[in-house]
Amino acid sequence: MRKFTLRNAVVSGILMIAVSLFSSSSLFAQDVGEVVNGKVVDSSGNPVSGASILNVKSGKGTSADKDGNFSLRAVKGQTLQISFVGYQSTRVVYKGQTNLAVTLLRENAVLGDVVVIGYGTQRKEAVTGSVASISGNNLREVPTPNISAALQGRLPGVAISQTSSQPGATMQIRIRGTRSLTATNDPLVVLDGLPFPGNIADIDMNNVKSLDVLKDASATAIYGSRGANGVILITTYKGTSGQDPRIALNSYYGVSKVFSPFPMMNGPQFAALRKAAGLYKNQDGSIQLGTDESLNTNTNWQNLLYQTGKVTNEDISVSAGTKRGSYSYGASYYENDGVIPTQSYKRYSLHGAVDQRVGKYLRLGFTTNNNYNYTQGSQVGLYNTLSNSPLASPYKADGSIKYVVAMPLDQQWVSTKKVLDSLKDNYLSQQKGYATYNSVYGELQIPGVPGLAYRVNVGLNLYQINKGSYTAVGVNSNNPTAPSTASSGDSTGTDWTIENLLTYDRSIGKHQFNAMALYSTERTQISSSNISGIGVPADALQYYNIGTAGQEIDVLPANQYYSERGLKSWMGRLMYSYDNRYLISATIRSDGASVLAPGHQWHTYPAVSAGWNVANESFMRGISLINLLKLRVGYGETSNQAVVPYSTLGVLSTNPYNFGASTYATGYYVSQLPNASLSWEYSKTWNYGIDFALLDNRLSGTVEYYITKTNGLLQSVTLPPTSGVNSYVANVGNTQNKGIEFSLDGTILKTNSGWTWDAGVNMSFNRNKITRLNTGVTADQTNWWFVGKPINVIYDYKKIGLWKTSADSASGHENILQPGGNVGEVKVLYTGPTGSNGTPTRAISPDDRQVLNADPNFIGGFNTRVAYKGFDLSAVGIFQSGGILISTVYGPSGYLNLMSGRRNNIQVDYWTPTNINAKYPKPGGQMSGDNPQYASTLGYFSGSYVKVRSITLGYNFAKWLRQFGIPQARLYVTAQNPFVTLSPYHRETGLDPETNSYGDQYQAVTTQYTHRLLVQGFNTPATRSFLVGLNITF
Amino acid sequence: MKRLYINSILLGAVIGVLFLGGCKKVLQEQPRSNYTPDFFNTQTGVVGGLTEMYAHLRYIYGQGYYYNTLEVGTDESTYGQSADANFLVMDMTGQGVINATTSRADVIWNTCFTNINTASGVIQSGSKAGVNVALTSEANFFRAFDYFLLVQTFGGVPLDLGAGNLQFNTKPTPTSVRNSVQTVYTQCIFPDLQAAVSNLPMTARLTGTVTKPVAQLFLAKAYLTYAWWLKNPNSIPTFPDSGRTDPAGHDANYYFQQAYTTAVSAIQNPGSYGLQPTFYDLNVGSNDRNNEIMLYADHTQNSQQYNAASLTYSNGGAPDNFSCWMQTWNYPVLTSSSTSGSWKNVNSVQRASVQGYGRPYIRMTPTIGAVTQTFSDKTNDSRYDGTFQTVYRANIKEAGVAGPVYNANYMPVNEGDAVLSFLNDESAGTIDYTNSVYKSSIGAGVLPGRADFVVSPQGISRIVYPGLWKISAYRTDNGTGLGNPNAASTRPWNIAKFSELFFIAAEAAVEGATPTAVTGAYVNDGTAYGLINVLRARAGKWKFSNAANAAQVADHSAAMVAATPPTIDINYLLAERSREYYGEGYRWYDLIRTQQWANLSTTYQICGAAYGNHTPQTFTRTITPNLWLRPIPQGQLDAMQVSAAVKAAYQNPGY
Repeated sequence: MRKFTLRNAVVSGILMIAVSLFSSSSLFAQDVGEVVNGKVVDSSGNPVSGASILNVKSGKGTSADKDGNFSLRAVKGQTLQISFVGYQSTRVVYKGQTNLAVTLLRENAVLGDVVVIGYGTQRKEAVTGSVASISGNNLREVPTPNISAALQGRLPGVAISQTSSQPGATMQIRIRGTRSLTATNDPLVVLDGLPFPGNIADIDMNNVKSLDVLKDASATAIYGSRGANGVILITTYKGTSGQDPRIALNSYYGVSKVFSPFPMMNGPQFAALRKAAGLYKNQDGSIQLGTDESLNTNTNWQNLLYQTGKVTNEDISVSAGTKRGSYSYGASYYENDGVIPTQSYKRYSLHGAVDQRVGKYLRLGFTTNNNYNYTQGSQVGLYNTLSNSPLASPYKADGSIKYVVAMPLDQQWVSTKKVLDSLKDNYLSQQKGYATYNSVYGELQIPGVPGLAYRVNVGLNLYQINKGSYTAVGVNSNNPTAPSTASSGDSTGTDWTIENLLTYDRSIGKHQFNAMALYSTERTQISSSNISGIGVPADALQYYNIGTAGQEIDVLPANQYYSERGLKSWMGRLMYSYDNRYLISATIRSDGASVLAPGHQWHTYPAVSAGWNVANESFMRGISLINLLKLRVGYGETSNQAVVPYSTLGVLSTNPYNFGASTYATGYYVSQLPNASLSWEYSKTWNYGIDFALLDNRLSGTVEYYITKTNGLLQSVTLPPTSGVNSYVANVGNTQNKGIEFSLDGTILKTNSGWTWDAGVNMSFNRNKITRLNTGVTADQTNWWFVGKPINVIYDYKKIGLWKTSADSASGHENILQPGGNVGEVKVLYTGPTGSNGTPTRAISPDDRQVLNADPNFIGGFNTRVAYKGFDLSAVGIFQSGGILISTVYGPSGYLNLMSGRRNNIQVDYWTPTNINAKYPKPGGQMSGDNPQYASTLGYFSGSYVKVRSITLGYNFAKWLRQFGIPQARLYVTAQNPFVTLSPYHRETGLDPETNSYGDQYQAVTTQYTHRLLVQGFNTPATRSFLVGLNITF
Repeated sequence: MKRLYINSILLGAVIGVLFLGGCKKVLQEQPRSNYTPDFFNTQTGVVGGLTEMYAHLRYIYGQGYYYNTLEVGTDESTYGQSADANFLVMDMTGQGVINATTSRADVIWNTCFTNINTASGVIQSGSKAGVNVALTSEANFFRAFDYFLLVQTFGGVPLDLGAGNLQFNTKPTPTSVRNSVQTVYTQCIFPDLQAAVSNLPMTARLTGTVTKPVAQLFLAKAYLTYAWWLKNPNSIPTFPDSGRTDPAGHDANYYFQQAYTTAVSAIQNPGSYGLQPTFYDLNVGSNDRNNEIMLYADHTQNSQQYNAASLTYSNGGAPDNFSCWMQTWNYPVLTSSSTSGSWKNVNSVQRASVQGYGRPYIRMTPTIGAVTQTFSDKTNDSRYDGTFQTVYRANIKEAGVAGPVYNANYMPVNEGDAVLSFLNDESAGTIDYTNSVYKSSIGAGVLPGRADFVVSPQGISRIVYPGLWKISAYRTDNGTGLGNPNAASTRPWNIAKFSELFFIAAEAAVEGATPTAVTGAYVNDGTAYGLINVLRARAGKWKFSNAANAAQVADHSAAMVAATPPTIDINYLLAERSREYYGEGYRWYDLIRTQQWANLSTTYQICGAAYGNHTPQTFTRTITPNLWLRPIPQGQLDAMQVSAAVKAAYQNPGY
């Protein structure tokens, strides 16, 4: 390995030197030819000022003026290349036209688009697989620092869910549903052609030129064992050859406020609840108060914590091209200070790309994307704030701030802005990430064989995270002398990829061929270490010298990590089209992986797809209504290589122990059995699609149907305790996803007076189910997996109301069903046998739990844009119909709906003898743990909602600046998350209905739901932001 | 230019050759941060497996929810004011049903089999790796220990985990077949413990590791328990039901005699073990790991890593040692007055990591009967004082409050003075529980002339009751402050004591074993009377009074022995066991072994769950025959890949 890395370094060094040596060798241009006059317009006929026009032969170029006019010299037969940011470059052969009219199409226009596919590009018209694309400009309509957030609701079949609401958090991406039970369901991300191993937040949004999502297996099979979850191809900006140097500046600044605070009870409401619950009362029947509580106090702890957040983005980039090369580089800065004090995210990015033709046959280049990010404040949770008694004052009698508040049973640390501000450097948690993603390539046109080229891509990546936290003496504890604690951890990942590609691209008459062969090798190494200490002697040391911790220093074996994995691949692809009417593509790939046991390492993946451009047939010529009609069908096999390294070998876990006060040893036990026959999960997908464009391309869209069957699901199979081992990893079970997606984009209005109105909508219907578990098993209750049901289900009792009255309780046999239960408590569905006259024969038992489908019926997004002269108004939204939103804030695991009056409670409509139609049960009734019996049923809400993610009003004032050589200038204001509607959850609670945590996070008890189920917990509240932004290009 | 082309071609070719040829190792694996099961085949791995034998104890002993299943529902305890369903169902007073999901005996089910497998692995690979049999016999001991725990709790359990009876299982096995109770005893527990008795050394390998006398204690107890099972005096059902016959054809008396002989043998040759001079010495935190304790789940305040639990805060989950919270009431609510003459609340007793205090959880409460009947003698017998925290003292200085504060009768209370006392009996006269003038905040009473609030034994409620001094946390790192009362206890949890050998021999004798005179340091006539009096005499020796928080040297041994009835019966033995082991998690096993559970626990008395409740109420428990075996946990049934009928047949009857 080491030798090999060295070799990489040497080779990449040679390549770089070659680039720098030869990049200056441009040809001398000659001032020959006649003056050509022309005009560059966009598809609406508006001038494209600033467009660059290059005579490819002479290397001379110019740019269009404010009216789109240009002039330069050319000889007949020479080719002019016209390009501009946000538009597709085009080439025109000068044939002596007196007024050369050039129309530049926007990058997201339907026809003639080039889409990025695996290991290459293809005209959209020729694509036979399922590929959804969006331009960087469209992505940026929702101002956000990372791609995953911007992608939400933009493409059909791509479901983006929020997993954290903290600054800098990324989102979960699922392409066409969830197929794996335990392995990753995350898609493969490919950045500028090479697999991207890092965090998607490391990719600078500002630098994204386009994003293409490969959804079906005929498109992703080329990625073989990495393709099963779909592939996201991200292309960053490069200079365009022949383009004048250009600087682009993007900047925005905004403020954010809490979208809606958690609806906790106020003082009188809480006092009423505590009284109704009757658990904390004095001898005379009055409610018991903690020493810090008083009935005259009404503290809103959330108001004392939240602040106005701040978001800012600055981005500058320079790009240019010469005849034989191009370059682009830029830098950006993003900062988001959250609504919870101390929470913030900052990111600094640098990127660059150089492409240089050397001589006649060789092309060399590299791209580099670097970023440093800094996240703070994850130590400040909301639980104490939300559960603190509103009857307690944040101030002592002398006006100084309290750090701990005493309630009847609990003493709780106070997190208010004042407290956090006062602590500053004594209570921190921060993470610093540094990542550099680089690729170097060389491409050689094989002399003598037109269309044959050899290319080598070398990817070299390094990503590092360093995190640390420090809590000073007595901070975040009821005990003022609790010792200081510090912890520090770092992780480093390195990987390299080498791809050798041979491509052959020829057109002979109406026949177009593209053939490719690839051999690639990649290796990834990740290691991390963690240490923690107790009793750091001075606050100033924080976590930077844990060696000084006087009381204890821990290096826990479970917190140290190392893994290495390698993959070798062979691949071939043939694409053929006849007359742009009949299209076919066939792929085969073979992968060998280190994570599988020897003898089981290699697998081969075939795929084939075909398309028919019906509109190009002669019989369609007369039908001018239809501009595009293409039918597609594809089949392919892929797999999910997410076997954790060393899974085939089994695991010994450790347990530390002390023999006497100070003799220490570590115990070992088998926690996971080896499985040499472990393999990957294989997916087979059929995809059927129709692409169409009508009415002079004013209405275009795609409808697709797919069915994916995934076999050999990787599972950590929970074994019964009697087997002596918790689990083993095996390929058992199958899942299926099928669905329909459609997207529709249209220009609704376009007038000569300058009005345009565009709108787009997309919808995805995915139906997921487990089709097989282990042999003879139809249900795995431990993991909530059931054959015939989706992966995302809830397995719980079903609430059918409350025992409203004693008559209700008597006739419904509450005494049998819920022994010890009372009127006013939750009534759940009984599914057991009944005796004569309908009397249940047993109490409610685990057998009464139901499988509840949590998946939405459909999801989608919409966008619209109205423009008039320099003004534009656009909106982007998302929607979801059906599904279950799990709100742990209302359920038992959040400990915020205890209904006992012990700690503050979420404001709910609870049962009292005079309010028998309430939704929530009687306070202080029968308990299960600290919560009301069957309280888990209180946390389920309809998942439906419509949410407008951003509304932007922009004004292009470039016409006033053209005289200063500034061709593009736009000022805009954006409202982010302005409103939510059609959401039952939002209606009841006022809260944003999007999930904000994984199933085991941001709850008091984190074992209620599995990690994979996204829930709404007491994470940082959702925000609403208002931004002002400026884009200038000159 | 031409040269350039050639160079380019060469360069390309070089690159190609380099990358096509390289790195055959790409597909090879070598883990570097974790162990694979192969590690067990090394000497170090075997020793690590042995460490795991001890580490696994922490997942059972100190686990407060499992602890609750051994105390709530017996004559020792009931649920407290803040009890959740875990505790309520165990009380069997109509507050929910014990079933496969509510029973917390899952704690041992989910822990023991993993350790049994590790033990089998150590025994198997130990012999291959040439490890001394004295070492691997520790694994034999723990395999028997775990099976003994399981068979008492659930009835018959599987000996075959997937690779054959008592074999190290490396095969995923989603099925299970239960063996009968007698099979588990005669094929595993007895042979393993006999091997441990033969092979273990007399002195411990490391602090707290098992020795021959420890193995003898458990072998004797297993014989005793099995003898009772064969005898079955109250016709309690067993499961799987394969008749109560011994495969070797022995009867109950044979095993009572085996129990007696084995226990007496250990008493006569105790090695380094022995009785502590006083009951106080036995249980005071500063004397942890004393020579009377034969087995414990260890913890330490010196290393968070090896303590495997935070030293500052605990969430109440294994391997934390948090059982001691459960029967601790919310004493920090107690208030005194900061001024004399007019009442102004001030908290006078704070949470502190001091023995007798610690973290309140109010999940469990002693029954009035335990305080008044089990511990009827509180003056000669030091064990009431050595078990309960009956006096709560002001610790205002640690909390930064300058004294004095004013308490009952507006009498001043200084640092260390009593704020609340639980009285020994009802003799003090009428207590004023009104809290009309002096507001204790907990409904405690006032007696004329006393500065402390008082509660008499008949006034003990589900919310205000004496705490458990014996097992509560003890730290030496509190400095001048209150310490870390919200951490789990850093004391070892005691599992087995030397004193139990006397009880085992006495119980066997009561049930018919032939006594023989006991020689050695604990010489006696070997009858139940003689054996028990060794312990009762020790209980009469006083060194320190917790109630007075002062030295109190006295010897009431003679009075204690004089009070022993000449004929010891099983109920007297059980009461004596409760005095010796109250609140240590012995009770339920003692009661089901001797089949006296329903007789002794069906009714109990306690006052209500609100402050100011001082009227005893009587509760009646419904202890049905099926409850004598705990339900097989739902997780086992869920994870078994077998038909519903097989699952149903796997479960104990009545669940």
